[in-house]
Amino acid sequence: MRLTDLLRVSMRQVLRHRRRYLGVVLAIAFGTAGVITIITMGRQFKYNINQDLDLLGKVTVIRFRFDNEKASRFQWFRPEAAAAVSRLPGVQAVSLLGAHKAPVVWRDQRQSLTVFGVDEFFWEVNNYKPLNGALIGPEAVAGRQRVCVVGADQAEKLFGKHDVAGLFLEIHYDLYRIIGVLEEAVPDSLSQAVFVPLTTFQDRLPGAALPATLFVRCHTWDDVPFLAANVPKVVQSLQEAENLQVDVRWWVWNRTVRIAWWVEFFVHMAVGVTLVLGGVGVWNIMMAAVRSRTREIGLKKAMGAEDHDIMAQFLTESLCLSLGAAILGVAAGRLAVEIVGQVMGTRPPESLFFISVGLSLLFALVIGVGAGLYPSLQASRMNVVEATRYE
Amino acid sequence: MSKAAVAPKIGRPYLIEVRGLTKEYRNGAGVITVLRDVNLQVTPGEIIAIMGPSGSGKSTLLYILGLLLPPTLGSYTFAGQDVLSLDRRGQAEFRRHKVGFVFQSCDLLENSTVYENLEFPLIYAGEDRQTRPAKILAALERVNLSHRVYHNANHLSGGEKQRVAVARALVNEPRVILADEPTGQLDHDNSQQIMDYFQKIIATGETAVVVVTHDPEIAARCSRIHTLRDGLL
Repeated sequence: MRLTDLLRVSMRQVLRHRRRYLGVVLAIAFGTAGVITIITMGRQFKYNINQDLDLLGKVTVIRFRFDNEKASRFQWFRPEAAAAVSRLPGVQAVSLLGAHKAPVVWRDQRQSLTVFGVDEFFWEVNNYKPLNGALIGPEAVAGRQRVCVVGADQAEKLFGKHDVAGLFLEIHYDLYRIIGVLEEAVPDSLSQAVFVPLTTFQDRLPGAALPATLFVRCHTWDDVPFLAANVPKVVQSLQEAENLQVDVRWWVWNRTVRIAWWVEFFVHMAVGVTLVLGGVGVWNIMMAAVRSRTREIGLKKAMGAEDHDIMAQFLTESLCLSLGAAILGVAAGRLAVEIVGQVMGTRPPESLFFISVGLSLLFALVIGVGAGLYPSLQASRMNVVEATRYE
Repeated sequence: MSKAAVAPKIGRPYLIEVRGLTKEYRNGAGVITVLRDVNLQVTPGEIIAIMGPSGSGKSTLLYILGLLLPPTLGSYTFAGQDVLSLDRRGQAEFRRHKVGFVFQSCDLLENSTVYENLEFPLIYAGEDRQTRPAKILAALERVNLSHRVYHNANHLSGGEKQRVAVARALVNEPRVILADEPTGQLDHDNSQQIMDYFQKIIATGETAVVVVTHDPEIAARCSRIHTLRDGLL
């Protein structure tokens, strides 16, 4: 039997009995769409969960800092080291931070406060929002502007209110315009501090006003171990890095990974069970088809069909069924990816989609062959006389 | 025992020659002999009727002639070739090119058109797709059904279905048609019509027809009648 005839006859058979196959086709299509959505959007799901988990402990933010109290001389992160770190796989953003005690004056109040020099990425990396006003942006950093953001507690302490944008504060004998107040849900050390652009910090504060802390925000929690291990290596390859400390909230990370593992496990189980049920459905329906088409099999053998012709036909029908369902699933999966992408406001990488399509079709092939093989063998081995006499 | 209504055509080589054919089935209780030392010769251009009561082995003989069942003993030559020595592939090849089957219950493929029913033997025979329509139409012309070529087989009458089955048996231009009770489910007129087609088929002198039947009226239209009783012809 020629391949073209085989395909034509098998597809015709499946199409003519489409109602009988509907349930199985839908099961495989849903499973396939699930696989495609999970593979294509999985990373984005994790990213969004990371964002939502910020309040629980910034599980994907790693802090690298030089412990200068122990160092023989002051150490800090060079810009080229930070740039190299930002190019590592799994890094979403990096931010440099410098800290210095400086005299801060408002009217007749003079205090020694911690002043942080931050770049424009500091807020995104730590997911901090302003209570009011604005935070330090790229213009302020690039323009070395004398502007500052005040921690909520410090604003309360200095001014007795939070609405202080536009006022001026003297920091180390320079006047800085306050552009905003940092939200309250931050650590105490930050809520009591004042923030200035990193460039201004380096220019105007005395002594070692240099960034000794580097924050790395990982894309997902899966990237944390790799980056915790490799960022120090990258930094050490580009500069002196004595007493470099890595701060990861491992206990939070462990819990998050464990919860995520269970969630993923159940989602994958659900999809897997759907696909396996689809496979069982194909097997069952092909067995039923072999039984109900017993006379047809006998007749075809009487016409001169060989065992392998009969086997090939039933196997091809099974493949047409599973692959047809998978193609339907690919279309549904694409639609789901588009919808989820719209909802999340993101565009997943096309390569992931095509990888998932390839995997789904491969899996459908396995289902088609696996579930169709035994019924096809049964059909091919059927006794022709008994088959033609089957009622 | 053999009862010849018409004598075999003298001087023509046998298309089918069966000698000492025996078929036994083994079951738990012992051996059941269905056919005993059957001898049969068929020449092209004749219709042979095989009659006999139910369970006498008529259909078994037909299946052996079509190489769907192997005999326990005996020889079977078809156009001078020992076909019992063929392997499974050779047997399938034999059925594709030399034999056409017609069964009692108008066995057409469900949910298929008349064209598709006739196409299958051609597909298995490796016929080119371009040459198939002409052959299918020619076969349907012989049973006056060319106007039904794209009809759904399920929608045909019983008589038409059996005519399609005859056309399907003919489409590969076989040397012999083996018909198992081809008129068993048809009324008198349709039965006679089927026999008319068989008569037309053998008129070329190239093809033979072996018909298993209970109906004496059908048997009477055959060249020879053989009766099987308790496995003896």
